[in-house]
Amino acid sequence: MKQAFDVKDKALLEAAETILAEIKAVGADEGETWVSRSALTELYYELGKVSMVRTVFSDRVSLKLLKDKRKGSTTLNSFDPQDIRLAVQEAWQAAQSAAPDEAEGIAEPLGNFSFSAGEEKPDLDAMYGQLDQLLKDVKTDFPKISFDSIGIEHQFGEKLYANTNGVRLSDRRGVYQLSNMFMAKDEDKTSSFNYFGTVYENPSDRVCDEKRVRRLLDETERQIVTEQFAGSFEGDIVITPGCLENMIAYVADTYLEDGALISGTSTWKDKIGEQVASPLINFELAAEHPDLPGTSQLSGDGYVAENMPLIERGVLRNFILSRYGAAKTGLARSKNSGGSYVLGSGETPLEDVIAGVERGILMGRFSGGSPSPAGDLSGVAKNSFLIENGKITKPLSEVMISGNLADMLRDTVAVSQERENSGYWLLPWIRVKGVTISGK
Amino acid sequence: MLQDFLQAYVNKYGFSGYTELRAQQNRNRGVMMLNGSLTANTSGTSRGLSARVVKGGAYGFASGTGYGEDLDAIARVVRTASSNADFLDSRVRRGKPDFPANAPFSRKDGLEHDIPVEQGYLLGLVDELDSYIAERFPRLLSRRVFARVLDMEKLLYTSDGVVSHSYVPRANVYVFMTTQDKDGQPVELYKVMGGYGNFLARFPNAEELFGKLEKQYEQLSLKADGVYAKPGIQTVILDSDLAGILAHEAVGHTVEADFVETGSVGGPMFGKQVASEKVSLVDLAHDAFGSLAPVPVFVDDEGTLAQDQMLIENGILTGYMHNKESALKYGHTPNGNARAYDFSDEPLIRMRNTCILPGKDKLEEMIASVEDGYYFTDMNNGQADSTGEFMFGVPMGFEIKNGKLGRAVKDTTVSGVAFEVLKTADMVSDTVTWTNSGMCGKKQIIPVGMGGPAIKVQINVGGRA
Repeated sequence: MKQAFDVKDKALLEAAETILAEIKAVGADEGETWVSRSALTELYYELGKVSMVRTVFSDRVSLKLLKDKRKGSTTLNSFDPQDIRLAVQEAWQAAQSAAPDEAEGIAEPLGNFSFSAGEEKPDLDAMYGQLDQLLKDVKTDFPKISFDSIGIEHQFGEKLYANTNGVRLSDRRGVYQLSNMFMAKDEDKTSSFNYFGTVYENPSDRVCDEKRVRRLLDETERQIVTEQFAGSFEGDIVITPGCLENMIAYVADTYLEDGALISGTSTWKDKIGEQVASPLINFELAAEHPDLPGTSQLSGDGYVAENMPLIERGVLRNFILSRYGAAKTGLARSKNSGGSYVLGSGETPLEDVIAGVERGILMGRFSGGSPSPAGDLSGVAKNSFLIENGKITKPLSEVMISGNLADMLRDTVAVSQERENSGYWLLPWIRVKGVTISGK
Repeated sequence: MLQDFLQAYVNKYGFSGYTELRAQQNRNRGVMMLNGSLTANTSGTSRGLSARVVKGGAYGFASGTGYGEDLDAIARVVRTASSNADFLDSRVRRGKPDFPANAPFSRKDGLEHDIPVEQGYLLGLVDELDSYIAERFPRLLSRRVFARVLDMEKLLYTSDGVVSHSYVPRANVYVFMTTQDKDGQPVELYKVMGGYGNFLARFPNAEELFGKLEKQYEQLSLKADGVYAKPGIQTVILDSDLAGILAHEAVGHTVEADFVETGSVGGPMFGKQVASEKVSLVDLAHDAFGSLAPVPVFVDDEGTLAQDQMLIENGILTGYMHNKESALKYGHTPNGNARAYDFSDEPLIRMRNTCILPGKDKLEEMIASVEDGYYFTDMNNGQADSTGEFMFGVPMGFEIKNGKLGRAVKDTTVSGVAFEVLKTADMVSDTVTWTNSGMCGKKQIIPVGMGGPAIKVQINVGGRA
């Protein structure tokens, strides 16, 4: 919820004002700080049992100061005025030795706001009940699944951004998060590992009620005995939503974000307004979404983030540029420099996305080397199935794919109507043609 | 240096049941220049306190940032951990006895390496390296130089009477160079230098690194004119850096006892032939072939005195890595693999310095023995699986044709099933090298050392048809 600026924990405000006063006192021209206080409560399952309850109380501070466009920054985890003074002096000394950079600066005033969401206090009983129910449901419905670990955590925190331009933004948020790693096993045979992550607000939800969870558990059980094939071929790959999140993160890093644009290695650097992907691709960076409690409304550099289209019908609309990245490249600052990935649903039912594949694979997870700056990537198609004549025929292992990220977006020939939601991303299945698929 | 406030707490309050009490400080520095612009100039400290209490087999953990002379603040963290253990014990009623007590001991390791380095020193070194690259290689599309310091200091008291104060410094410099190939596509190669030690001692001046920059540029130029590898199973010589990540990713993770317990392929293969008899693999605690290991661990975060852990001896799987609980379950001896990254992290079963032991072959002879294959020299990220299937990225390598090195190879990935690939190892070189620059991820990140000789194997290469 967006409202007028109002920090509940006054210790944050006091620490931030102390930091800004110290920044001015040492002689800096400008400065900014993030101050946060959080409490994390985690219930953890490993080695076949609920093993631990963990509580982490945390105070954190990061600060940056500028003198003649020379930057120094530091982090600490104390609000103690003496520690703050030492930290500011450390940043000041760092700035003295730094080269000036005209692109440096801090956020300009665009209105001060506070955001809030979720519950402050963890419901440990409900968390335990949720974990217990998940284990019972999986034992009944997916008896071959074995969890390596499950973490259910509640994180509550309030964070404040303040700078010497008078910008004040804060966020007070409590969310639950479930993470895990599991595999399926049958006597001495083991599947590849798999996982799912979920961000949510209600710990009473039954995890196994979610279709995405059931699909992943079911597919993993069918991966215990796999087959390999020899040789290689060019075929279609159908990428599942969880795997697509991984691929899209690569796309953002390789073509759209600060690093690739400042260094000039992005092959999309001059392509705003041009067709870079199939017309089926609609890609948005969400700051606020009714179905995604994991989104964040504040950017890391002191702005209120907004929903922002990146690719519309295959046409590149925006980059993901911070204030610094924009100043450095001469391009516009993005309305959102982080955020959740949302890919628009397509017109093809998932069944038909698969039915359109003559020979290819369904890829559930990608385990590969970091893509090259040109977007070339190769790696293992984990948790994958062979598709022949439009039908999923057998589970595979030791299958590699190689291709190019930009080519894969251009060669997307189907996007499913169905989407899956992790609470942090909302993504469909996509089908890409002409990818090199190789076996043993 | 961390002040010891824990002793006063222990003297005043003592321990009630099995407890680990740890104060920790991670100090970091980072300086990055991208095309001559300073994009990162930061330092930081993460300091705090944690307690882990075990009751009837149920673990309670708590941590807080206010570590200091306020003993009540320490007591609050211990109380919260104890209350968490009580909550869980009330639910699970496991009824397990406490771990067997360690004999009490007290030791200090590496504290003499706590030598402050000024941020300005990192800035100066990075600036010199960046200027050298800009002047020497003006045709580069992009250059990036990154200096990083991570010093980890831990002070541990356990209810067994173990007291350990340790300091492990790490200093690295990463250099990324990007050029364009004949089609105008960007081609990148990065190198990382450094490892264990204080930044000043590791990098006394920039000039010593200039030769490495020249070699890096030379390799990048070859790569820009390079070819894509052929896909499928190939004969490959993995140079020593890659053998290190093979030891870590392909084998190491599958023989961590928690992964074994869940169902990793390391379980049923215990005591069996999993590699060629030329392959032996060990997770070293703190000493490596007469020198300090890259990430020395003398006492782990459960208070176990660290010892080397053999994993594969002459091709036979002989050991797992354990914490106290898993060792008890398997009837093995824990050898100090329970490690935590930050003060707010609980100890997990982690590798320390995983290494394939050297063989007797010479690298030149190994290359000469390959009729048609590859020599891969560099690695980037890697990942393991419960099935033993692994992959890692290969940013630099060469073709081998008729026993001689040929054209450079563009970025590729290799993969395989660990125990199958290691069974094909028919040559192992006599020289081990180590890397200590990356982080292993498993709930938490943590620094690890990876080492090995060059090995010749049959492995799946993710090339292009």
